[in-house]
Amino acid sequence: MTTVNLQYYAQMREQAGSSGEKLTTQAGSLRELYDELRTRHGFSLPADALKVAVNTQFSDWSRALDEGDTVVFIPPVAGG
Amino acid sequence: MSGFRIAATAVDLAQLRDSLQHPGSGGFCSFEGWVRNNNEGREVSGLEYEAYDALAVIEGGKIVDEAMARYGVLAAQCVHRTGNLKLGDLAVWIGVSSAHRDEAFRACRYIIDEIKHRLPIWKKEHYLTGDTAWVACSHTERAHEHEAPHVHHHAHPRPAEDAGAVAAPPFRPDYSRQTRLREVGDAGQAKLAAARVLVIGAGGLGCPVLTYLAGAGVGTLGIVDADRLDASNLHRQTMYDARDIGERKVDLAARRVTALNPTVTVETRTQPLHPGNAAEVFAQYDLVVECTDDLGSRYLSSDAAVLTGTPLILASVYQYEGQLQVVSGKPGDPCLRCLWPDQPAPGVAGSCVESGVLGPVPGVLGTMQANEALKLLLGLPGAATTDLLLVNLLDHAIQRLPVDPSQGCRQHGGCREVARRALEQAQDDTDVDVHFEHLDEAIAAGFRLIDVREPAEIAQRPIDLPSQAVSSGKITEDTSVFAGGRVLLLCASGKRSGHAARLVRGQGARNVYSLAGGLAALRRRPGRAAG
Repeated sequence: MTTVNLQYYAQMREQAGSSGEKLTTQAGSLRELYDELRTRHGFSLPADALKVAVNTQFSDWSRALDEGDTVVFIPPVAGG
Repeated sequence: MSGFRIAATAVDLAQLRDSLQHPGSGGFCSFEGWVRNNNEGREVSGLEYEAYDALAVIEGGKIVDEAMARYGVLAAQCVHRTGNLKLGDLAVWIGVSSAHRDEAFRACRYIIDEIKHRLPIWKKEHYLTGDTAWVACSHTERAHEHEAPHVHHHAHPRPAEDAGAVAAPPFRPDYSRQTRLREVGDAGQAKLAAARVLVIGAGGLGCPVLTYLAGAGVGTLGIVDADRLDASNLHRQTMYDARDIGERKVDLAARRVTALNPTVTVETRTQPLHPGNAAEVFAQYDLVVECTDDLGSRYLSSDAAVLTGTPLILASVYQYEGQLQVVSGKPGDPCLRCLWPDQPAPGVAGSCVESGVLGPVPGVLGTMQANEALKLLLGLPGAATTDLLLVNLLDHAIQRLPVDPSQGCRQHGGCREVARRALEQAQDDTDVDVHFEHLDEAIAAGFRLIDVREPAEIAQRPIDLPSQAVSSGKITEDTSVFAGGRVLLLCASGKRSGHAARLVRGQGARNVYSLAGGLAALRRRPGRAAG
């Protein structure tokens, strides 16, 4: 089990109902983590439409999770 | 019959008014322009109007038609006088009748405002002192666009024979507060004066960008915006006011920029850039600031920036947060597609309309864009960053995420190659969007209709013509529905149908088109229930 800090932006923040949370997960990779969160929060965006960053660095979806990682999901935004 | 005419003699108002009677009309609104006894502090004894009749009648007819279509009113008429008029005489008459009062007022206002701008009609004032002066009223004299909107005091440059009045001293900009900065100085100011900056979108982000860049003395500002001001813009678009509603934003923005700093040269474009001209337009500027709420425009700008090597400052907002990214246009630096390779489907990334936004949020992000623009133009320290900046104005968190170019377009041939392919593809798809004023014209042109709206939307506003319903999310599931003949996809605004048509074309169905502007762009027919 790994405990990570999650941050949500834009519509993901809205769908999650918060701008972040601490989560203990069995997910082996960022992609698995996102799949878990999609079920949990009903995120409408597929992973392909998102960028993901770990500890303020953009990351590959296959990256494994380390204890205490800060994971940020970033959708593209259109408003202006 | 044209709704506009020129009259050389007095007009029968009762007859005009009667001609607007309509069984469906619940309101009538008229505007009369009269000859008054003074202008700019001079006593006026009378006026003389001269018109280029043939053109004025055509253009005037267009204006009345536009007003009717725009506001869905039932009937409208306008008469403009020519010849000699004395004090109190009627110079222009506009009447509008409609189901409800609001659109009658608005249509009336639209007609008089457009007439003042567009008709080739000239006015000569006769003064009590015995002399006269021509006062320009048509768009061939642009100066009146720079005065406060709707204040018809005719603050034009005074004609020669009227030069006795005291002219205001020419404006001299004072940039001392910024040239005092060691990194700016006179040399920096000269760089700004020589700079040409294009601002795409004069909305929530564009307002602070234009304001600060004009104030800073950027020599030339290009403004692109196709929209007219709506009341719902005012909470975040701080250059405009309530009287401006219904006017074109480029005109309002140009007026505001010139009022703020008359030494700035303004270039306006009322049509959005498209794949066919984006690179060419970008090449004419030193820097571009992308301020639209449109993902398509953002991707197009990124591609054009990469291909022309023009630095681009992107920003977007969502509710209480925003994103900022600088695309340097330099080989090896990342672009928008390095982060999000393809434009997401409409509805995936929220817009201000759909998701809402707090007014100051685009204000903050636009101000940051203006600051980045000045940093780049002046070559200030820290100007070279290409990090993605995430700004959350609820908790004041700012995240800076370095973009690794090796993980982006470089895996697909590099930004340039990716941009070139994307523009080519987009250009290939430009004939996707077709325009119709009425759907039966599309059927007459041989199109079969497919409604891609959701069932609930269709129930709310059905189209009373034969059509098939396939919601946009399921459009690629069964391509057999596109077999044979030309197919027109339609939705509420044209966004979903446009995206869907491009998707199916990507699968080889080149006979699929999209109704440009969607149902919202169709013309209403008098007597039919409004949608």
